[in-house]
Amino acid sequence: MSDCGCRKGNEQAENDKNGGNSYLPWPARIEAISEENSQIKTFVLAFSGDKRQQDYRYLPGQFLMVSVPHCGEAPISISSTPTRPGSVHLSVRRAGLLTNAMHGLAVGDTVGLRGPYGRPFPLETFRGKDLLFVAGGIGLAPLRSVINHALDSEHDGRIEILYGSRSPEDIAFKADIATWEATPKVSCRLTVDVASPGWEGEVGVVTRLLPQVDLDPKTSVALVCGPPLMIRFVMAELSRMGYSDERIITTMERHMKCGLGACGHCHMDDRLVCVDGPVFSLAELRGRDVVELRDKP
Amino acid sequence: METRYILKKDHLAPWLRRVAKSHRVVAPVKNRHGDTLYAEIDGLDKVELDLAGQPQASAKSFFLPQQEVLFTYRTGKGGYEFHEPATPAPATVYFGLRSCDLSAILYTDVVFMGRHKDPGYRRRREGAILISIACHQPHPNCFCHATKSGPFLEFGYDLQFTDLGTRFLVEAGRSRGETLISQWRPFFSEAAEEDVKLQYQLALEANGLFRRNVDVGCAVRKLAEGEVAEGIWRELADRCQDCGGCAYLCPTCTCFTIRDEKLGPEHGERLRCWDACTLEGFSRMAGGHNPVAREQHALKRRFQHKLRDDVHKHGRPSCVGCGRCVGICFGGVDIVGFIDRLSEEDLP
Repeated sequence: MSDCGCRKGNEQAENDKNGGNSYLPWPARIEAISEENSQIKTFVLAFSGDKRQQDYRYLPGQFLMVSVPHCGEAPISISSTPTRPGSVHLSVRRAGLLTNAMHGLAVGDTVGLRGPYGRPFPLETFRGKDLLFVAGGIGLAPLRSVINHALDSEHDGRIEILYGSRSPEDIAFKADIATWEATPKVSCRLTVDVASPGWEGEVGVVTRLLPQVDLDPKTSVALVCGPPLMIRFVMAELSRMGYSDERIITTMERHMKCGLGACGHCHMDDRLVCVDGPVFSLAELRGRDVVELRDKP
Repeated sequence: METRYILKKDHLAPWLRRVAKSHRVVAPVKNRHGDTLYAEIDGLDKVELDLAGQPQASAKSFFLPQQEVLFTYRTGKGGYEFHEPATPAPATVYFGLRSCDLSAILYTDVVFMGRHKDPGYRRRREGAILISIACHQPHPNCFCHATKSGPFLEFGYDLQFTDLGTRFLVEAGRSRGETLISQWRPFFSEAAEEDVKLQYQLALEANGLFRRNVDVGCAVRKLAEGEVAEGIWRELADRCQDCGGCAYLCPTCTCFTIRDEKLGPEHGERLRCWDACTLEGFSRMAGGHNPVAREQHALKRRFQHKLRDDVHKHGRPSCVGCGRCVGICFGGVDIVGFIDRLSEEDLP
């Protein structure tokens, strides 16, 4: 490492291993931006330094700590799949200071990235099983990573995707959805809370789509991500349908400052979401004081 | 058996002066206002060491500073660069640490040098030699006998001093401590059997001098078994004034926040600062959603963390019984108040 501590070459991976400064981000260039809806943009990012990008490894379900100049850092889940190397995608909804500033960035601008952090989805346990994805709003971002990973690695089961949005205009990841709809072993169902003129699809919350699912709970796994209230209702409904707690998997959003298991902000009863999660099975959440399971959130 | 030494009180200053030639020395110092605080000593003759009183704050800030620059950054014209500041951590001898404060450092080691290797903490900790002073006069709010983190230590120290009146009994727990003796061996003599016996006697007596009887075991059991009534948490939440004082003062509270300080249009620093889980915004996310309700964030998760989750993870509570939070909480909902409340329920 150079004396001034500047990042050069592939030092971050080495630093992380050798106990160097785990708080130093790595610069990454915005290669492309796609506007998913009025609130969500997907940023296609590539690390400065070809070798860094080439050697970069992550798994679906993991997240990055994103730095935007003068705005600090925020945890954002990765929405791309490692089966498509060359860049990493972050789908970001405008919510606070940092995400609003990020929406103001353009192609060619640089952000800082640390990670990947967190426990990924248990992909190895998905083999031979059918996969049911239930997402609400921006919650499709981490699931998009798993879905595309499953498609790229020729997943040997069926895939059903249920996606709820506030309105037809709010439906994000339209390009992905079009691809999924055209893929033979994938079925994709959408619903909106409020229809607008021209919408001929389902109207209502995403749980309304669950009765249409044609998968055997005994041989499939359900992956759920969305707002806390949606997660709660969907998990309850999946349990009623016969999904065991081990076969219901969700990923949680929490305030985080370090991503390293130290700052304490993502404390969830006796767990830290950044290192013990963000992916949890319902079995792991039971008995814990978790807003996603609480009767009165 | 480890070797025990005697250091005559007259020899303390000359020995420390020699130690100070190659080390930074931090020790409890009484300032001109009468406050005792751990402080870096710049010239032993200029300060009044206070080896009897309890320092008003622990040594936490020496290892986890209240505010610290993690790195500086530059931005502009599409670039964004990060530079680690050169912050050397000089080899430091911490002399006169209270047993509770040394025990707390052993706990913060678990947080910052366990799974996560914190660069700043590690730098400061690796260059640290910890010398404790056994407490044979517990202070009014102390209860370290109940948290098994004092008044005399059995491990964890590099050196442990016990005041035997005209002399100190010195125990070396680790080789780094042993080195501080062997380097200046003429100051030390080998302890006699009666010195060791006297120390044993003082330790026994100290255990009987605590004025507070805090049933930590009862609280640990009730929390583990989920036997704490919701009404208690609500009452704590009602009386907690969200000042964060207990967490800042607590030697084992390590939660922190990270933020950017803009120093100009194209540069700034990333800062790490102490935070408190009892504060309203601690778990609030961008957009305003807070997964933790008021009844939980105000003290519940703090006490659960210290007395339940850490017992589960590390086999012992992370409260070290220093009692400092008792003095700072004007709502009366410090950890002692909480534990007392739980154990009173069992009284006939």
